[in-house]
Amino acid sequence: MKLNWFIRKGIFYLPVSVAGWIILVLAAAYAVYTFIDINGQSHSVSDVMINFVFNLLIIGLVYTIIAYFTEARGGGD
Amino acid sequence: MKDDEFLKKMENLKVPDINPTDHPEQVKMAILNASRSAALGVWLIVVPCYFLLCVFMYYFSHIHLGWFTAMFKLMQGLEKTQFISFLGPIILVVLPIVCIVINFLAIVHVSVHKPYPENPKAREMKVTLMVKPVNILLILLSLAIVFVFLAYVMAENISVGR
Repeated sequence: MKLNWFIRKGIFYLPVSVAGWIILVLAAAYAVYTFIDINGQSHSVSDVMINFVFNLLIIGLVYTIIAYFTEARGGGD
Repeated sequence: MKDDEFLKKMENLKVPDINPTDHPEQVKMAILNASRSAALGVWLIVVPCYFLLCVFMYYFSHIHLGWFTAMFKLMQGLEKTQFISFLGPIILVVLPIVCIVINFLAIVHVSVHKPYPENPKAREMKVTLMVKPVNILLILLSLAIVFVFLAYVMAENISVGR
């Protein structure tokens, strides 16, 4: 089944369909929730930044893996 | 008269001998797309790279601790975090290995030929590596990350054994 949910711009994937936008919004919402959660548990700014960036990169990785398998493939490189 | 001469010249022209079956042999397609593999590869190793960067920062802010001790403490911190306790080994081993595999498949081309028609059992395998700097760099970085993790595991086992 061919899914055209994302297109690739460099190393980033942009949504081009409703399903793609839903995934992007869910990822962004989860990132915000993670930031609020970590901010409530941490005692310093550096603690927040280290843990939040780590979680943000993991969210970006999962989003990219989903986009990798559902991107619109125009042609070769 | 001129038309006849021209026709004779055209008939006597030597046509280049092109074998159309040779052309597909020159097209070496990799299994995966190189730019797509590079894009995913960057995301696969950016997490372990950030993790190792944190370890280095931890090390430089706690001079009295060793490099491996700092890494061990960060791993312990991960294990205490809910939902992501299993992520340490996955981030440092599985993701770089996946990155190595997809980028290797994007630059390698393997073909099997029968070079001697008189001996059909004899086969020749040709492995071609395409020079794609980004993919090669990602493979080398991933290998370095896996090596660092293996060195950490070995050092930890040796210290526990003592």
